[in-house]
Amino acid sequence: MKRFILAILIFVCSAFADNIFFHNHWTLWKDADVLIWSTDKVPALDSKEFCLSLKRNNTGIGEPKCRVFGEWERDSIAVRYSGWLIANMEGNVKAEHLRARHPAMVAKIESIEDKLILFIGERDGKIYAATFDENAAEPVAAGVFEKTGDKIALGDKIAAAFFDGAAKRRLTKEERAKRMTEPDESYKEVPGFQGWAGVAVGYSQAKIPLTPDNWYSSHTESRVRNYRITKDSASLWNFIDDSDPQLALYAGGTWYGFIGAELMYRYAYHKVKTDNKDTVYQELSYWGFHQHEIGINVVLSRTYTHTKWFKTTPFAFVGFQYSFFVEDIGLKDDSKEHSKAYDVRIKFEDSYKGALVGIGSHFVFFNHYGLGLRAGISSRGRNIEEDPSPEAAAEPTTIGSSTIDCFINLGLEYHFSM
Amino acid sequence: MKTVLHFAICILTMCILCGCGQSYCWHQSHPSYKKAPTDSIAVTGLDEAFVVTRSSWFAKRLEISKDSIQTFTSHFCSKAFLEQLQKSYKSVTVIPDVAFSHFPEESQKLDTRIFMKGRLPEQGIVVKDSAGNVPAYILIIHEFTLGTDLQRENFYDYALIHNEAPEKKTSQNLSAIVSYTLWDNMKQRPLYSAVNQVDQPNVKLTLNDISKIVASSVQQIKQELTAGVK
Repeated sequence: MKRFILAILIFVCSAFADNIFFHNHWTLWKDADVLIWSTDKVPALDSKEFCLSLKRNNTGIGEPKCRVFGEWERDSIAVRYSGWLIANMEGNVKAEHLRARHPAMVAKIESIEDKLILFIGERDGKIYAATFDENAAEPVAAGVFEKTGDKIALGDKIAAAFFDGAAKRRLTKEERAKRMTEPDESYKEVPGFQGWAGVAVGYSQAKIPLTPDNWYSSHTESRVRNYRITKDSASLWNFIDDSDPQLALYAGGTWYGFIGAELMYRYAYHKVKTDNKDTVYQELSYWGFHQHEIGINVVLSRTYTHTKWFKTTPFAFVGFQYSFFVEDIGLKDDSKEHSKAYDVRIKFEDSYKGALVGIGSHFVFFNHYGLGLRAGISSRGRNIEEDPSPEAAAEPTTIGSSTIDCFINLGLEYHFSM
Repeated sequence: MKTVLHFAICILTMCILCGCGQSYCWHQSHPSYKKAPTDSIAVTGLDEAFVVTRSSWFAKRLEISKDSIQTFTSHFCSKAFLEQLQKSYKSVTVIPDVAFSHFPEESQKLDTRIFMKGRLPEQGIVVKDSAGNVPAYILIIHEFTLGTDLQRENFYDYALIHNEAPEKKTSQNLSAIVSYTLWDNMKQRPLYSAVNQVDQPNVKLTLNDISKIVASSVQQIKQELTAGVK
């Protein structure tokens, strides 16, 4: 037990002493050639021992071969770069700040193919290490380690810090030649698919802002008399309240940052606009309709990145929806019998089909957390499921065949990309 | 409630419009840039960085022959720049452009579409002045463009640099665009890189106006070098 605690203490202390500046993704090759590049007279690592450290630390690494990288240790351009590199490795630098700039040095790094390079050097009594692969003229990972006389312990630490993860089989010459012709994924500016899911609260009303009141007054000022009588029945807003809060759930995604689709569900509750002067309603306790809507939108968008942690995606959408109105009615407990008019009260269609169109924007923080603001106009019309009969003119009019409102909502969103 | 809805729609429209607007970042600091030079600085680029656009306009206003306007103004600006720099720092060392001319031209990225070009010393090589001393900081002036109503994005945004500017008859401002790098000569790294733009209302062009705009651009560089410290 004591040994175990001691081991943990040593581990914790060493974790504080060592500092990894950055560790980007790289391809760890199986059975790799690991070249140890050092400018120190006495290298801090022993190549044979380091190979054993690699195998101990990562069992999937196969049979690596480690050797001192004599070619670069004797090359004047590489020597100059290594001197610069060791002077510039500091805690706050990123890989791009350690990029090799000399064209000959860049060419050297790019030509290492599937070998892995471990740079190691001593400065101010500490050991600085960095790894390179062929993909960029900058280190993939860099860090500083405490200097100890124990080369094996140092090798273990470096192996654990930089050479972890799954190792890949090295490519044959033909495979490598083929891969050179493939497009480079890292040049893609927009991810292939970007998705989001959100929950929003909002508000809807029949009157569309900046349009005259008299377009809507016949609907919004209408009252229901005797459970069914209104001036006309073209719009549902003749019967129920047109300005109410709403709740929305939605999830969608865009492909290549441009075109996308979104599924949505919206809920609102509308009270029936009963005429207070009508005494028939004295028996009534409450009367309203739950509005459920499901729909699908096509989204066109574009993303603008302002800072590393903030981007906006303005979008326009157009879609269709099905609306369902579920009646919620109750009589007062003390009313013993209800009126005849109650039995023959208005009935809405089973469902309505409509379209919606609008604009909005996602405001995304730290790539994942977003606010979504959107506004639009939606309609609900008759859902034609069967051919119109020859006696259509004689049929009663469909209630709410032209129900239009506008809406605005603000949502909390989660974004992800693939 | 209607007012709320109107207000919300206004906000939405504004947000979308702001979202579409292009904004640039014109400077970049190295994470290890902790202290700006205060007393002494070395400067290079004074021989070749200064360029005048609309040379015939300048030639006409300053009554100098068209053939010699470039040479004349670049000498004049270079002198004014150095004088102002000497007022701002106790000791200024001038390193001739020749010391940099053998380094390859490289580009530095300041923003997604903003790149500035210039020659930077090689990694691992310190630049010495004519007396053989090694200055700690070198202010490298890459380009200094003098003209009228210039917009720096037209020179440095790679999506706009090929656009042709309309031929202009009038001019509102005398403008100067300068791209520069503060070079850490000891560790051979760019500490602070930026593209600055200075505009000055153009009344009647005199040599005094030119020295004024050069001076204010030097003052701006000094302010930014201090503000850019991380």
